[in-house]
Amino acid sequence: MVAWDLADFRLYLPVLGAVLILQGAGFALGMGLLFSKMPEAAAVFLVTGAPVMNLITAGLIFEPQVVAEQRIRGSYEFLQSLPVPRSAAALAWYTVALGTALPAVALTLVTGEARYHLNLTVTPMVVPAMLLTCLTGVLLGLAIAHGITVPMAAMLASTTLIFVMFGFSPVAFPAAQLPGWLAAVNQWLPFGSMATIVRAALANGVASGVPRAYLVVAAWAAGSALVVAWAQGHRR
Amino acid sequence: MNVRRGVRYWAASYAAMLRFDLAAQRNWLPMFALMQILFGAGMAIIYGFYIGRLSRDAALFIVSGAPALAVLTAGLIGVVMMVTERQQAGTWDFIWSLPTPRSAAVASTFTVFTLLAVPGIIATLALAAWRYGLTLTVSPMAVPALLLSSLMATSVGFASALLIARPLVTNAIVNALIFVVLIFSPVQFPISRLPLWLADVHRVLPIYYLGQVLRASVTQGLVSNLVLSYAVVAAWTVAAWAGTAWVVARRR
Repeated sequence: MVAWDLADFRLYLPVLGAVLILQGAGFALGMGLLFSKMPEAAAVFLVTGAPVMNLITAGLIFEPQVVAEQRIRGSYEFLQSLPVPRSAAALAWYTVALGTALPAVALTLVTGEARYHLNLTVTPMVVPAMLLTCLTGVLLGLAIAHGITVPMAAMLASTTLIFVMFGFSPVAFPAAQLPGWLAAVNQWLPFGSMATIVRAALANGVASGVPRAYLVVAAWAAGSALVVAWAQGHRR
Repeated sequence: MNVRRGVRYWAASYAAMLRFDLAAQRNWLPMFALMQILFGAGMAIIYGFYIGRLSRDAALFIVSGAPALAVLTAGLIGVVMMVTERQQAGTWDFIWSLPTPRSAAVASTFTVFTLLAVPGIIATLALAAWRYGLTLTVSPMAVPALLLSSLMATSVGFASALLIARPLVTNAIVNALIFVVLIFSPVQFPISRLPLWLADVHRVLPIYYLGQVLRASVTQGLVSNLVLSYAVVAAWTVAAWAGTAWVVARRR
């Protein structure tokens, strides 16, 4: 299935890779322009938050769009009928998503560090944090893609999520800068917590409530996996 | 054969095409306004989250930049999507085959989209001002500023989509552009913060000047190069018309 995905997306993947680089490195550079002088704390948040967007964009946004397109073209039923365990297909997609995201993550971190003269301290916890974040993004995307059967609604849901992730979640800025109610809502949404676990592995002393964040992200992953299993497991 | 021409015939064709365009866009209208508000007011609010504590001056800069984002969204995304959709469906071939002057058809499309963008722009400005608790000083120049910027964005979006003529390429370019426009344009921050080469690029492109024209109409003392800004925006409008005329006048 990895080979299938690579062949199926051979035109898209380079574009997706370019978009991710723009989204990560470009974003880290561009948002700095909003500040007349970038405070170091803000720079740390920005540079450690942008990789999270890299990690989940392929899974959360790209996959639902692709599946919606498959449904419109009618190739969805064909793919579902292939004699491949659906879990293997999901795992294959996870591999491809991770492979596309990681170069962008590295580039984002290097660019951000150079631009804002930061010294990030990467700990081994970066491995589980990034793997879990990417996995949750993929599972959420699969849940949207397979759980919402109307293609337009699925596309709309994934587009809305980009906006929520980028603008209304404390991913690349501190939660304290959101209005209180929105910060409270974000305690239970996955994006802020993803940022917390990734940030904790990249910089010392900026992230708090890390164990809780792991639980929130894992809960979203498990919940999404259940939705995917349900949507794919029953006969039509 | 009797070829119909003359001002009166042109005016009648224009009126008929206006009815056609309005009827054709009625489903699309709410989406159009929603998109503008999302990108205009939404971005203005989001930038505030990123910056954190905003001084009144910084907030004023962001609020007065918001309408430019709404205008650019309408022109770059809305108009381009409409044009490419019609290219894919073959609607343009139908429109060009109608017994109306092609200039009347184009003029009607420009009129409709220029005016359609206005409610979204005003809503964006109102929402952004409300979010930051600002009172704006709206000058009478707001009317020409709004109409000219909206006309420019419509014309440039329309001309580019027609000139590129391949819907897939156009869509890819637009998607890349939105990002660049939203993040690297000196609309939400002073142009002096850009690296010099990028600032020079923006002294040729219309985005910065469009922002200045709109900002000057709702604030006082923030914009100094207003005449130049109007001139550049007008020049881009005329250039877009020339491009459109070149494409539309060709026989197929």
